[in-house]
Amino acid sequence: MEGFDVANLFVSIGQVWTGFLVNLGLSSQWIAFVNKLVAALLLTALPVTIVVFTIMGERKIIGRFQDRLGPNRVGPYGFLQTVPDVVKLLTKEIITPTNVDKVMYNVAPALSVIAVILIWAVMPIAPSMIGVDLDIGVVYFLAVSSLATLAILLAGWSSNNKYALIAAFRTVSQLVSYEVPLVLSLLVPVMLASSLSMNDIVQAQSRGWFVILAPISMLIFFISGTAEVGRSPFDLLEADSEIVAGFNIEYSGMRFAMFFLGEWIHAFTFCALTATLYFGGWRGPFVDQVPALGALYFFAKMFILYLIHIWIRATMPRFRIDQMLAFSWKFLVPLALVNVAVMALATKLLAPPDLSASFWATLPRWGGFLGVNLIMAVGTFVAVREVARQARRKEEEVSGRFGSAAVVQE
Amino acid sequence: MSETSQTQATQEPSVLTVQDAYGVLLERFPGQVRMDERQGYEGVLIEADSLLDVASFMRDQLGIRYLSSVTGVDNLPNGQLESVYHAFAGLGPALVFKVQVDRDRPEVPSLVSVWPSADFQERESYDLLGIRYIGHPNLQRILTWEGFHGHPLRKDWHEPYYEEELKPFASRHPDGHVYRAEDRNPFGMNLQYPSDFDPHNWTDIAQAAVYQPLQRTALESRLETETMVINLGPQHPSTHGVLRVVMAVDGETVVDLMPVFGYLHRNHEKIGERCTFPQIMPYTDRLDYICSMSTNLAYALAVEKLTGIRPPERAEYIRVIMAELTRIVNHLLAIGFLWNDVGAFFTPVVYAFNERELILDLFEMAAGSRMMCNYVRVGGVFEDLPDGWMEKARRLVYDRLPRFVDEYERLVVQNEIWRARAIGVGVLPAERAIAVGATGPLLRGSGVPYDIRRVEPYSIYDRFDFDVAVRFNGDVYDRFMIRFDEMRQSLRILRQAMEQIPDGPVQTGKKNYTIKVPPGEAYHRIEAPKGELGFYLVSDGRPNPWRYHVRSTSLINLTSLAEMCRGHKIADVVVILGSIDITLGEVDR
Repeated sequence: MEGFDVANLFVSIGQVWTGFLVNLGLSSQWIAFVNKLVAALLLTALPVTIVVFTIMGERKIIGRFQDRLGPNRVGPYGFLQTVPDVVKLLTKEIITPTNVDKVMYNVAPALSVIAVILIWAVMPIAPSMIGVDLDIGVVYFLAVSSLATLAILLAGWSSNNKYALIAAFRTVSQLVSYEVPLVLSLLVPVMLASSLSMNDIVQAQSRGWFVILAPISMLIFFISGTAEVGRSPFDLLEADSEIVAGFNIEYSGMRFAMFFLGEWIHAFTFCALTATLYFGGWRGPFVDQVPALGALYFFAKMFILYLIHIWIRATMPRFRIDQMLAFSWKFLVPLALVNVAVMALATKLLAPPDLSASFWATLPRWGGFLGVNLIMAVGTFVAVREVARQARRKEEEVSGRFGSAAVVQE
Repeated sequence: MSETSQTQATQEPSVLTVQDAYGVLLERFPGQVRMDERQGYEGVLIEADSLLDVASFMRDQLGIRYLSSVTGVDNLPNGQLESVYHAFAGLGPALVFKVQVDRDRPEVPSLVSVWPSADFQERESYDLLGIRYIGHPNLQRILTWEGFHGHPLRKDWHEPYYEEELKPFASRHPDGHVYRAEDRNPFGMNLQYPSDFDPHNWTDIAQAAVYQPLQRTALESRLETETMVINLGPQHPSTHGVLRVVMAVDGETVVDLMPVFGYLHRNHEKIGERCTFPQIMPYTDRLDYICSMSTNLAYALAVEKLTGIRPPERAEYIRVIMAELTRIVNHLLAIGFLWNDVGAFFTPVVYAFNERELILDLFEMAAGSRMMCNYVRVGGVFEDLPDGWMEKARRLVYDRLPRFVDEYERLVVQNEIWRARAIGVGVLPAERAIAVGATGPLLRGSGVPYDIRRVEPYSIYDRFDFDVAVRFNGDVYDRFMIRFDEMRQSLRILRQAMEQIPDGPVQTGKKNYTIKVPPGEAYHRIEAPKGELGFYLVSDGRPNPWRYHVRSTSLINLTSLAEMCRGHKIADVVVILGSIDITLGEVDR
């Protein structure tokens, strides 16, 4: 096939496809329209497809964490387990309880999936492979991702169930609390890249990932992201041991599966965002020569970050609601504020990135940022230790807690 | 009462023996208290009118702070109902006192004001025997539902499909053909309704009755708030079965809470009273199905106390080994499921199950069954340990389990979130723990060094060198940690028992279908993994017990649930419940 270039695999496929449309005799406006439609469909299908792999992967990996095999019946090594699961969910009866708010009850599952899939519109998957390179990509993502929380709120409220209602309370407080550090930490890569566009942020990481320049910001983003999507240890909105299944308690069949889908897409979408904003997105060796590799790097980074999610889920217990809110407002928000202020100063004081300079010439800049972050980390550590000590002293005065050493009486 | 100054019980309460205590009571309350003179019975009979005075005197002057068991006996031939109490001063055997009341007007003063631990037990006694405890704050049915007709443990109450009083039933025993009771006695022929009950047209008063005692004042706050009633259970992943907890919550904060029981009720005690003494053994497996070996042991010891049978040495050692292995199984599960309640995704449970399966393998080798062991017999055990059992058990006890306990502790104890969730949550002070009749890890986690293996050694526990684990803060964290301590002590006992175990027979006499049991009563309690498990047996000389009562650990430990949970969050209720460690088979019986 003429002009088929493996290095630019996706571009080549696109060219072949466009050529096919031209041969059909479509006018250029129509071709553009059809191409946009196909791209949108592909972008929608992509996260849904990834979910199938992540579910399977998560079950296998958690199985290993727990000293067991995980699903191993369907397909080789059980890799096709998700297929019968989906079939089961699709064929299950969908029950609408009486006394629910029918409109909201039915809209919520769809909304939860739509909201998270919309984020993928601004996700730079590979060089020049992005749905829409919005100038305000970051703002768009923030706006859209909050919709998922709205879906959970709707579901919890409209289900007319007390557990679901509690989950809805929790969702709202969780969203309000964790959106703040999320946005504040997000300002740092925006400042570093001097752009709100996702693609520009990835481009700006050509001389080093932002995780090296702003590790604290990355940690805050990852933690608040975990809380935002309601993954362990912040999975209070569907705490199965407390409020049974929380917001989705009254849903069954495919409606339940939609929430499930939405939540999982949301989870790895946040990993993809972390990869994009802090780990260079599609950047990696030889991407300049073989742009198609970019997609590989992007997904690899996303899955490695998702592995951390799985790891946490397999080992950590859950926060209590007041502890979770306190963690955000008393720790993450102040830290994020300090972080933004310090990083803003550092960006202005340290030399702006010179893309043409050699690696060694940019070293002082990196060192400067790292040093600033290190100072912040140490400062945080000292402050937290001091506060904790005071709290402990106070508590000992009040309650006279005995030391935790085992006291054994003969 | 009378002139106060004569005795005043100036002795130190702990050196007071039970006989002395009876003497003091007889002297102090002449005419109100008399010895129980019946053959095979012990304790004193107290007139119903003066029960409260005597009980307060016992608590305040004699230092008897712990009321272990409250139950009742239906003395149908005498036309009397008897309320039976077993109380302890600390060390030594039980102080038994009874109140006999007329069967037609069974009114006994409630002892909840003296010993709060009587709360659920008096309700149970009211429910099953119809003894009305006057002054009980919430005298409702507890195991059966509000619309239940009659009191099932009364000897003249017959269940649907009632066949005959005692097993073995004539329809089956000598000739052996079995046909089902419902064929003999079709449904509807022997149903009884209260006289004013219309089965086709009735309103459910039970739910209203359940919610009625719940306190519903919203918390003080500047916000205008309203409480909401939530039912945790009976179908809920974290109530460890079919427990139902009715909560009034203000937002996420628990204002008041009340456990509701009976969803697994099968009237175990009535079944037991129909059976012969050896026939009851497999039913005891179903009480605390996590640790059936311990439950078997408790029942066997109670019958042995009544009959005076002594098991051979080897059987004693086998029983101790099995009981301590059971304790490890139970504590592993308690810790694992507590972590599930905190929200861990099954990892600690699966780790714990791993080791539990190995112990259950041992049970299977010895008893033929993994969970419903039915292994202990009156006067010994079912059969000797099979070849290779000891080697397998030694590998586990000497090598694998000690390492696992250490590893597991490293996995869970230092976790920051866990500590935040557990420390200072659900505090039960020592005073309250004794008052509400908490036992086992729940009591020892509150700083009370009370272990029946030590204070009233049964079987051969006096031969082993072990420590009573105690922790002093009384919160979820200490109740959790004490289980690690106890597993280590259990391993210590196991090692000693495995060193000392002699050869020999494992059963006194030959295997038999019936046991000759002299008339009388016996209360025997053991330190089961979850706490004090007691069996109260009354025999009238027949092969079947006249009264068979289980002092259920889990049920009575739940007495403290409400006061531990008030003011905490919904999520904490689940954790506190997990830290009490209950089995619903035993709660509802």
